[in-house]
This record gives sequence, C-alpha cells and structure tokens, in this order.
Amino acid sequence: MTLHSIRRILSVAGPLLGLGVLVFATPEGVAAQTPDLGQQTLGRAYWHVFIAYTIGWALILGWIVSIARRVGALERRIEREE
Amino acid sequence: MKGRTGWIGVALALAGVAMSLVTLWLVFFRVGTDFRQGIVQRIFYLHVPAAWVAFMAFGIVALASAVYLWLGDERADMAALSAAEGGMVFTAIVLTSGPLWGKIAWGTYWTWEPRLTLTLLLGFIYVGYMMVRRATESPERGKRFAAVVGIIGAINIPLIHMSVYWFRSLHPDPVVLKPDGPTLDADMLQTLLVGLVAFTLLFTGLMILRYRVERARHALDIREAT
Repeated sequence: MTLHSIRRILSVAGPLLGLGVLVFATPEGVAAQTPDLGQQTLGRAYWHVFIAYTIGWALILGWIVSIARRVGALERRIEREE
Repeated sequence: MKGRTGWIGVALALAGVAMSLVTLWLVFFRVGTDFRQGIVQRIFYLHVPAAWVAFMAFGIVALASAVYLWLGDERADMAALSAAEGGMVFTAIVLTSGPLWGKIAWGTYWTWEPRLTLTLLLGFIYVGYMMVRRATESPERGKRFAAVVGIIGAINIPLIHMSVYWFRSLHPDPVVLKPDGPTLDADMLQTLLVGLVAFTLLFTGLMILRYRVERARHALDIREAT
C-alpha cells in the first residue's frame, strides 16, 4: 500500500463520515422518529445531542485529516529526494 | 510505506466507519428513549464508547512505553505515540459529550466531582505526554520522559473506573461492567456494544495508519541523515 493510496482512501472516508453524521444526527432526524419521541418537548436536549455527536465526529475527522496531511508531507519529502 | 499492515489499518478504519454509521442509525432510529432522561440519554452511545477507547489507548501507551524503556525499541515508542494521539481525540470526545449531557441531566455543564476531575486529569496527562516529548533538547531523552509519563498516567484508568464506588460521586454508576451483570435494556445494550466495536475498530485502524506514517517518517529521517 502506497502513501498515495492511503491518502486517497482517507480523503474519501472523511467526507463520507461527515455526510453520515449530518444525515443521522440532525435534530430534524431525531425528531422525525417515532411519534412518541416527536412528542418530547425538551427542545434544548435535541440540540445537546446534535452538538455532542457533531463535535465528536468533527474531532475524529480532524484526526483523519491530520493523518492524511502527514501522509501528504511524507510524499512531498520522498518526491524531493527522488 | 508498503506492506500488509497499511491495508489492515485501512480495512479496520473503514469497518469502523461502516459500523459507526450502523451505530448512528441504531441510536437515532431504532433504540428506545430512556423514560427518565429522555432524548439526551442518547449521548451515552457516544460518550461510553469514546471513554472505553480513551482507556484502551492509554493502556496501549503504558504497555508500549514499558517495552520502549525495557528494550529501547523505537517501534514501541511509535506505537505509544500513535495510541496517545488517538487517546487524546477520544478523551476530548468524552470531555465534551459528558458536559452536554450533564447540562440537561444535572443542570450544570461541569462539577468538580471525582470521576469528572480524574477524566480531565487523563486529558492533561495525554497533553503532558505530548509536551514532554518535545521538551528536551535530546529527542531520545524526551521519548524516555514521555514513556515514564505514559506508564504513571495509566494508574489513572482504574481510579476513574472505581471512583464512583470509592468516593461520593454525582456520576452514574456503571451499567455494563458490574459484578452482577449489565442492567441495561437489551436494545440499549446492543446499541452500546455496536458503538463500542465501531469505535474500537476505528481507533485501531487509524492508530495503525498513524503508526505506519511515523515509521515511514523515521525511515526517511535516517535516510536523510546518512
């Protein structure tokens, strides 16, 4: 496996993760569940769940991006040497 | 950076991503709502797996650090560094998701109770591990200091787990890792277990990739120096 292929996979996996979080973790998504859940009136709690999952996945995405950037920096170093 | 471990890392990370999407579906579309806490209880399925991975990461840091101090093997130090980096990420998730739950459940984002304080300390130990590595002029010395921090810091993990039993604590008691078995609803337990596997796979995959990058960087440093 080359550095380039790792970076390519990470660059696809990152946006996919972000999309998954946006689809599943939006307050509207939570509210659109069963009627029982829709009746809950703790509006602020929806936002707390949304923010918690968004921050969590943003941090993981940040780590993925930082690994991808390091792979990119290594590739540039190797190219310079060659 | 060629080799089978790179592919294993990518495969594990992708499996972790796929299982994380399944977890999100279970959390937001399938599992029932806790009748006492309401919707905010769903933070539990992010918070607990993140805490598990943060503890596991520090276990790896301690183990790899001990190997590094004992054998002086650079690969052990690279493994410890990779685990510590991931551990920092997941500890940050624990320290942000917990207060967001606490604001609704307790009425406050933060309170200086034992488990919260010890978890914050865990975060500081991870930061300290990273800082100590770069605090000395000699990189080898920095790595040895960091290894000591990694080993001593691991003492904090059992303290965090037992703090709810040993001290008067506001934090909920464990509902899974307890002597008389889990007391969670079957659906909730299933969702939690899927989340635990997802984060474990994701962390392991990314840690392997991070380790591969560190090894490649180290090899390049040596090549450039000679």
